[in-house]
Amino acid sequence: MIPLWMRFAGRELRSGVKGFRIFLACLALGVAAIAAASSTAEAFRQGLAAEARQILGGDLSVSRGQTRFTPRERALFDRLGRVSVAVAVQAMSEAPSGERRLVEFRGVDAAYPLAGAVTIEGAPSLAAALARQDETGGPAVWGAAVEQALLERLNLKLGDRFLVGNVTLQATAILETEPDRLARGFALGPRVLAQTGALESGGFLTAGLPFAQTARIALAPGVPLDEAKAEIAKAMKGVYRVRDRNDAAPGVSRMIDQLEYFLGFIGLASLVAGGLGVFGAVSAYVDGRKSAIATLKALGADSALIRNTYLAQIGLLALAGVTIGLATGAATPLVLGAAIQAQLPVPALFAIYPAPLLKAAAFGLLSAAAFALAPLARARTTPPASLFRSDLSGRLRPGPELIAAGLAAAGLGALAVVTAPTPFAAGVMIGGVAAAFLVLWAFGWAAAALAGRVRGGARGAMRIALANLAGPRSAARTAAPAIGLGVALLAAVVLIQSSLLAQISSIAPQTAPALVFTQIPGERAAAFDAEFARAYGRRPTADTYLRAPYFTGRITAVRGEPVTPERVPANVRWAYDNDVTLSAIGPEPPNANILSGRWWPADHDGPPLLAMSKEPARGMNLKVGDKVTLSVLGAEIETTLAVIRDVDFGSFGASFPLIVTPAALEGAAPRHVAIAKASRDEEQRIVRALGQSFPEVNVISVREQLEAATELFDQVALAVRGAAAVALMAALLVLAGAIAARAQERTREAATLKVLGASRAQVLAAYVLEYGLVGLIAGAAGVALGYAAAWPVVTQVFEATWSVDWGGVAALLAGAAALAGAGGLLASFQALSKRPAAALRGA
Amino acid sequence: MTDTPPLALDDVSLTLPSAAGPVEILRGLSLTLAHGERMALVGPSGSGKSSLIAVAAGLERPTAGTVRLFGQDLGRLDEDGRARLRRGRVGLVFQAFHLLPNMTAEENVAAPMEIARRPDAMAEARAWLDRVGLGARLRHYPHQLSGGEQQRVALARALAPSPALIFADEPTGNLDSKNARHVADLLFELVEHTGAALLMVTHDPALAHRAQRVVTLRDGRPEAAAEAA
Repeated sequence: MIPLWMRFAGRELRSGVKGFRIFLACLALGVAAIAAASSTAEAFRQGLAAEARQILGGDLSVSRGQTRFTPRERALFDRLGRVSVAVAVQAMSEAPSGERRLVEFRGVDAAYPLAGAVTIEGAPSLAAALARQDETGGPAVWGAAVEQALLERLNLKLGDRFLVGNVTLQATAILETEPDRLARGFALGPRVLAQTGALESGGFLTAGLPFAQTARIALAPGVPLDEAKAEIAKAMKGVYRVRDRNDAAPGVSRMIDQLEYFLGFIGLASLVAGGLGVFGAVSAYVDGRKSAIATLKALGADSALIRNTYLAQIGLLALAGVTIGLATGAATPLVLGAAIQAQLPVPALFAIYPAPLLKAAAFGLLSAAAFALAPLARARTTPPASLFRSDLSGRLRPGPELIAAGLAAAGLGALAVVTAPTPFAAGVMIGGVAAAFLVLWAFGWAAAALAGRVRGGARGAMRIALANLAGPRSAARTAAPAIGLGVALLAAVVLIQSSLLAQISSIAPQTAPALVFTQIPGERAAAFDAEFARAYGRRPTADTYLRAPYFTGRITAVRGEPVTPERVPANVRWAYDNDVTLSAIGPEPPNANILSGRWWPADHDGPPLLAMSKEPARGMNLKVGDKVTLSVLGAEIETTLAVIRDVDFGSFGASFPLIVTPAALEGAAPRHVAIAKASRDEEQRIVRALGQSFPEVNVISVREQLEAATELFDQVALAVRGAAAVALMAALLVLAGAIAARAQERTREAATLKVLGASRAQVLAAYVLEYGLVGLIAGAAGVALGYAAAWPVVTQVFEATWSVDWGGVAALLAGAAALAGAGGLLASFQALSKRPAAALRGA
Repeated sequence: MTDTPPLALDDVSLTLPSAAGPVEILRGLSLTLAHGERMALVGPSGSGKSSLIAVAAGLERPTAGTVRLFGQDLGRLDEDGRARLRRGRVGLVFQAFHLLPNMTAEENVAAPMEIARRPDAMAEARAWLDRVGLGARLRHYPHQLSGGEQQRVALARALAPSPALIFADEPTGNLDSKNARHVADLLFELVEHTGAALLMVTHDPALAHRAQRVVTLRDGRPEAAAEAA
């Protein structure tokens, strides 16, 4: 036997979902956004997992810089399985025309690749492409597969010869893809692939030079991964890194996690903004059913029967909304994947994955419960006397529904935090959304109260608009918080992006160096300065040119205690668990930004002193005068912390986390690095000129990197803004719901106004004003909240300069007011569509 | 049948809030309805007739005084307790019919019996709709019925559970004269048939005179009580 509440619920639902379209749309939109983001991320994860061996280039990879693997180490690798060793350096390429460009020069052996395949164009096979070329009759040269970008930059074509360092290469093929490119990450220049011998012949692999070497191992059958890793750990000495196929591209995985969370967060914000639509729809429904509820109570139904009857209906509709959202969210990546899979930089296996859908469903149902249960409580509390007194309706009283709604809201927040890659950041974001929502809600109520106070001073259409805003079903209370939240989210995204973009495209080119020179031989440093000055064409100053010796070293002890990286706070661990760059400088460099201590005399000859960047110093609670032991070039140096400074790694200055007094490293013959400010023309002149006398010096064009970053950032920004607009869509749905809920009332109101002599234009103006004001108020509050959210992110998290995109902010405000005003226009057309007599008869 | 009257009001007052301040609707009203008695409440608009029905049926709590329904003090019961007390024992007929819009005529009549967990609810509903002449309209929804038909469904819904007490608030107030007469005839015929007591609010003197007792309310107090002719 079907329970009575279920039978009654079924009968009540016969009138269809007409009043629930907004409810369904609000839920479906948020769930779809979360499901699509999570499903897409899962598709990438599965794609990465399926191609992990190709991405890593084997089952295991062992990397080490600056020294080659010993024969013993090679023997161990060979015992574990098939091995391919690759080496890579950054070096300058040069065309016969003198055009130069930094490249990633990579050498591989005959076994490469152990997994997957290299895609090239212009040669029958990789072996053929990399073979020594002598068809021109001259001396044989190394064949190289190069990226199209290099051919374009150096104005070369296949078959042409060019230099990398002092090695002559012949471009034999265009390098399209390498299976292990994703695992190697970001490259500063176009890639050039050749045989290892090419790098050897150029002297790139001399011990101590900054080359990276990676052995990839395809384990022999029966050799377990963990055992192989353990054997490697036992046999290898010094600094090296082991990765396995389960962690093939950690950077990409982290990025996918973060992107999933960010997009999911927008989905969640849409659910919260849309929550008002859910709240409004359920409130309107319960209001509409007041007579039926009171009748059932008069017939003997108790509150439990009423609650269950209406809970079942809302529950069923919530399930329907969530299902629509899941179907849309699951289908979106499938459709998108089919369209753009070939262009994706990361492998993806688009399919329907249950886990992301379950997560999205949980978010949807929890948000439905959080926002629907409170108005649903009014069904239970609707007094039967409302059959006699139309002014009576159910009140929100503390009860099981409100407790459940609170629990659901807490569950929603908890689920968002638990499923986030960085729970603390997620907690802050969720807390921010909740706080913003409350502020906007209070703001809406305050705006309605204010409208009530000032309406007395207004006339005509404005007075009608203000009266409606002050009224019991004011859109200032129902739609404004949702619009405000949508605008706040979009404003935060716009403001963060515009600040970061300004940092990359306008501020950084002014403050950061235009050129970075690496691998300057120490013994020819003075000659380099002279050559640079000659090519520069003007006298370099401390503000335009800075050269310093370059070392890498490690902090091994602090205040005499050896460093245990696990005990170092995570945000500064990078300075204690890895080699960091350091320099030895006598005179105080420009923009030293000293926070405590004093810079040493330029000719300081006493015990070694240290200048340290503030973050690692503060992380370990270091004070001026503390002892810090460094390991540099195999020697332990005990230094005294003399200076703590604020190092702006993006500015023109000595951007080293550690600087020691020159005497501390006396006798070492380091290479130097230099930075310079230069115009585009100067830059080209310098790069060309240095090719003659300093071919081994690498020149990195910061301008080019910034331009590439700006382009990438623009693309990402567009996608992120598009995603953030989903939250605004939810807000528009809420506005549509608020308009729909008052449609009948509006029709009667418009008819009454017309009977009283108001023209159509006056009615129209009143409604446009009313909703336009709602949009303006909510938009302003949203922009203010977005500003408050974006400022700390830009200045504290990204440590960038805050710059406001006033155009974007104005567009957002105008957009919010215009969209809301258009809603008012729609409401007025709807209200005016009925003749007054018919509308009033219907009343 | 016990001696306890189905309804007894003792010194009942009802004051309701309004924008202009509290309004006294009922003032110290006492009244008893005997088993099978048919009483009409008459009086000018605003005299508290409908409010008296709401208070007597336990839909509204009085501000002061005691309401006993079937001997039970309604003041001691919460809203759910009052709803359970009404189940199957109290029938209500309203001027605005108050049929459940998403339920068919048959389901509307069955609803109170279903709430009272009577297994024969549907069969009984069909039989009652037959009795009120709507046997052919079982599956019709309220909006598919005329006003007179809707009130006949409401009558069937009130009487089908065989209640001991019927409250009728202007049962013919929304009907034309022909339908009003038909519904009134039906109401009295069925009440007589079931032996239920009836407390009816009406503006129609002819309908009031069909009751055994007529109580006139003015300003929330009975003005006079007279035996019907």
